[in-house]
Amino acid sequence: MSGDEECTGGELLTQALAGERAAFGALVCRHQRAVYSLALRMLSDRHAAEDLAQEVFLQLYRSLASVASEAHLSFWLRKVTMHRAIDRLRREPRHTGVGLEEAAALAGEAAEGDPILERRLRSLLAELPSAARAVVLLRYQEDLDPVEIARTLKMPVNTVKSHLRRSLAMLRERIADAAAADAGVATRVALPGEDRSPP
Amino acid sequence: MNHDLERRLRAALRPVDPGDDFSAKVLARTAKEPAHFARPPRSPAVAGWLAFGLATCVVLGLLLAHQWQVRRTQQGLEARRQLIEALRVTDQKLDLANRVVNEKERAPPDSGA
Repeated sequence: MSGDEECTGGELLTQALAGERAAFGALVCRHQRAVYSLALRMLSDRHAAEDLAQEVFLQLYRSLASVASEAHLSFWLRKVTMHRAIDRLRREPRHTGVGLEEAAALAGEAAEGDPILERRLRSLLAELPSAARAVVLLRYQEDLDPVEIARTLKMPVNTVKSHLRRSLAMLRERIADAAAADAGVATRVALPGEDRSPP
Repeated sequence: MNHDLERRLRAALRPVDPGDDFSAKVLARTAKEPAHFARPPRSPAVAGWLAFGLATCVVLGLLLAHQWQVRRTQQGLEARRQLIEALRVTDQKLDLANRVVNEKERAPPDSGA
């Protein structure tokens, strides 16, 4: 979409409201990454995430007249994505953990950092209850502060803070447990070698 | 430790691309939808005129309501004045009639024979 670089979000929104499909396409291109990523982390399933992201943009197409500005659009997309994802998880609870497909898709992205730890974090995140997962995603993926998260998810700010605190504590504890388990395995692997070595 | 975990979470939650054909799929789905949103956005001038018109309507409505109230008050006062006048006239007539009756009673009975 060439219009994406040339136009500001506000201009694209105005053109899309006037019925220009190309402008709407540019808006989709501009926001698809954020919407799809939120859906993927919430549902842990690429196909379900893509389907949900498409439904969100379809709903946006239907109610574009109610969107006032570019900032409102970002807020609207996050809100609708999260509420739809939570609803879907309530209707059809999925297995927790990251699927092979997602792991394969993400493997190419982990150019820096520790890919194993990142995968483990994503897997642990998928084990959180849907509301807590939504809070953590909006905080660390979308970089929203607790007040903005509370507005997006329609929950009290204190609840948001409580979800964040408990989720971080759980993640820290599980990561530490996993690290301790890995260290134990490494020690057990190392010991037979020492036995075989000459005195 | 806390900041380290937060940094790692941010790294683990880097946004992911849905694929090259995502927007095409969305547009294909929207093509089946009627373009019911194709409402041109209101320009600031139109919005200003709308606000002015609305304010004028409110002021005119208030003025009309005030005038109606004043007229009702005046009608009430006029009715009150007319009632007092009618009572005053009635009082005068009754007084006159009373005086005539009293004079007839005081007159000697043989004066008319």
